[in-house]
Amino acid sequence: MERRKSIGEMSTAELADLLAQVRAGDSDAWGDLYGQYAPAIFRFCRRALPTREDAEDATTEIFMKVRQKLGLYDSSRPFTAWLYKVASNHCWDTLRRRRIRQDLETGDLETLPLEHPDPSQLEQLQIEHDSKHVRAGLAKLPDRARMALVLRYYSDMSYDEIADTLGVRRAFVGVLLLRARHQLREVLAESGGGLHGAAAGGRA
Amino acid sequence: MNHFDEMTCLLYLEGQLDADHAEGVRTHAAGCADCRGLLRALQTESVWLRESLEADDESVPARLVQAPQHGGAPWGWISALGLSAGGAYTVWSGFIEPWRAQAAQAGFTQGNLLTMLFFSGAFWKGWDAMRSLMEFLAIGTLGLVVMWLLRRHLRRSTALAVVMGALALMAALPPSAAAAEQRRGDPNYTLAAGEVVHTDLIVSADSTRIDGDVEGDLITFSRSVTVNGHIKGDIIAFSQELRVNGPVDGNVRAFVQNLQLYGTVAHNVLAWAGDVNLDQDGKVNGTLTAGSGHLEVNGKLVGDLLAFSGDVDINGQLGRNARIRGGHLTIGSRAEIAGQTTALLRQTPDVSTSAKMASPLDWTLAKHGSETSYSSGRYYLHQILKWGASFLFGLVLLFVVPGFFFDAVKACSKTAPAIGFGVLFLFAIPIAAVIVCITVVGLGVGISAMMFWAIAIYAAQVLVGAWLGEKILGEAAGAGAALGRLALGLAILRALGMLPYLGGWISFVVVIWGMGAVALAIYKNMRPQAAAVAAVV
Repeated sequence: MERRKSIGEMSTAELADLLAQVRAGDSDAWGDLYGQYAPAIFRFCRRALPTREDAEDATTEIFMKVRQKLGLYDSSRPFTAWLYKVASNHCWDTLRRRRIRQDLETGDLETLPLEHPDPSQLEQLQIEHDSKHVRAGLAKLPDRARMALVLRYYSDMSYDEIADTLGVRRAFVGVLLLRARHQLREVLAESGGGLHGAAAGGRA
Repeated sequence: MNHFDEMTCLLYLEGQLDADHAEGVRTHAAGCADCRGLLRALQTESVWLRESLEADDESVPARLVQAPQHGGAPWGWISALGLSAGGAYTVWSGFIEPWRAQAAQAGFTQGNLLTMLFFSGAFWKGWDAMRSLMEFLAIGTLGLVVMWLLRRHLRRSTALAVVMGALALMAALPPSAAAAEQRRGDPNYTLAAGEVVHTDLIVSADSTRIDGDVEGDLITFSRSVTVNGHIKGDIIAFSQELRVNGPVDGNVRAFVQNLQLYGTVAHNVLAWAGDVNLDQDGKVNGTLTAGSGHLEVNGKLVGDLLAFSGDVDINGQLGRNARIRGGHLTIGSRAEIAGQTTALLRQTPDVSTSAKMASPLDWTLAKHGSETSYSSGRYYLHQILKWGASFLFGLVLLFVVPGFFFDAVKACSKTAPAIGFGVLFLFAIPIAAVIVCITVVGLGVGISAMMFWAIAIYAAQVLVGAWLGEKILGEAAGAGAALGRLALGLAILRALGMLPYLGGWISFVVVIWGMGAVALAIYKNMRPQAAAVAAVV
């Protein structure tokens, strides 16, 4: 994992001490740990799941899982990496349980346009749409596409971690990300700006 | 010049290409303005995506401020589970077991409630039909398991092939499995004497007259039905009036206003009717189970009698036991009862001294429903145990289907739609289930729908209780807090239900409200994309 959202200013030693107290059943320590990480996990869930209510429920459930499974955490790995792994697995399981995975797993590579998109149109699209538009566009994407973008560009997960979370082959992660970008461009273009060409590709 | 495709450019930027391939892209891009432009655009897009995703425009909700706790005081759990177990035992011993015992007394001896529902129900079509249903369910389950195991290898074409294969298999199945003749009256229908229907006969008409023979079941929806011919299967009737003059080799299952039995029924009779009359020329070789306003038994009943009736007149022969619950019982001078007769009545029975009874009538006076014994400690203990049973059910719901539980509790907030849907579901599901049972879709789906309906009715109070608890104590963060709110809400609903006169109405509204919430939660889970779009808008 190359980069992780910065959550808290706690040092490694302080975190290890806090985790040890939580494992020992200290309710105050649990409250501190929750207070430290819950906002970031809620924001992650808010981006991964379709509605705010879903994100609230998921945050609570994720921390209940964290408390139950804290004994399984390998302290040689970064805690935030493990926490995001639990959160992303939970969110993906939630979406999968609802059976709203519309896209195919192996999504044929040949359906992707092989020609270059027009860079100027891509840049124009980025100029015309701010972060609110992007977030609204993300909510309209198929779940797998949205999860892929969030895991990669919000949680900074590696291709291996994304493949593991979404249950796909590693070689397919790039396809998934590129297709998600295309879908997002299409959604944004349809919502304003008339930039279909950016998604469809401009030249051979 | 051959440019690199967008996929390769993205993988290059993401550091996913091997060294040689990456070097190739780098070298090419150094001399290709187009590819440099694309790489720059993709890189900018990555930064744009990161910045957009990181933009923090929403506050953390207040309900997430406090850490969810689990575990809690062990004594709380122990006492709650103890009460729940007590409640479950009370429900079993107070309702299910006596009902089962009564049914067993009346000849439904298949052992438990589920088998009784399946094997003695109105639509039991024999072991062949059940074997087919079980085989179908087994194959269907196996197919789902295989598809689940292979889900990562399925492509759209594969799925299509599976669906087409399944349809082809269904089409190839022998048509006799669902053989039935369907006749519609114009407005009346008559099966003439001498005419024979070799399969099941389904009739919908204003007036139905069967003078011929039916070798399968007769299923009829008519205002008036007269059966003079020979029915070799069952009669299943939904009508205002049903008169059976001819012999029936199977059972009679009647949901009618008026049932008159003049012929011989080889097996059992089950009737939900305003009036039921087993004429003195009529004979039932099995059992007679009746839920009716008025019941007259003037003919010969070989098996048991189980009656839930306002008035019961017995003036015929009963080969076995009679168990009666109702308003008034008259045992006439021509009555002959070979077994025991037990009755729970609201009035003193009239028993003719000329009646021949193997044992004296064992009867008790029933208290009127509204005469609740508020001064009795047992009554309050019973209420506490009922609360425990509903809490246990809520506990199971919360841990087995937490998403659905919270969705349904939230849906209770939408009072008007919930009550509207609740009324619809309360009445629509049983009607749909009955229709499904008698169509080609079949028994399994119909009974499953009815079981779901019954569970939803019980779940209604749990969901409304949880909602009420949240309204009082605020939204729950975590399962422990949700259970606390559930316990409080259920206690309040139980207390309201104990109110004289009003209590019953309150419970009824709660059932409708909760059922509507179930419907809304199911709707929400079936339409997730709509929810997503709505959230964006």
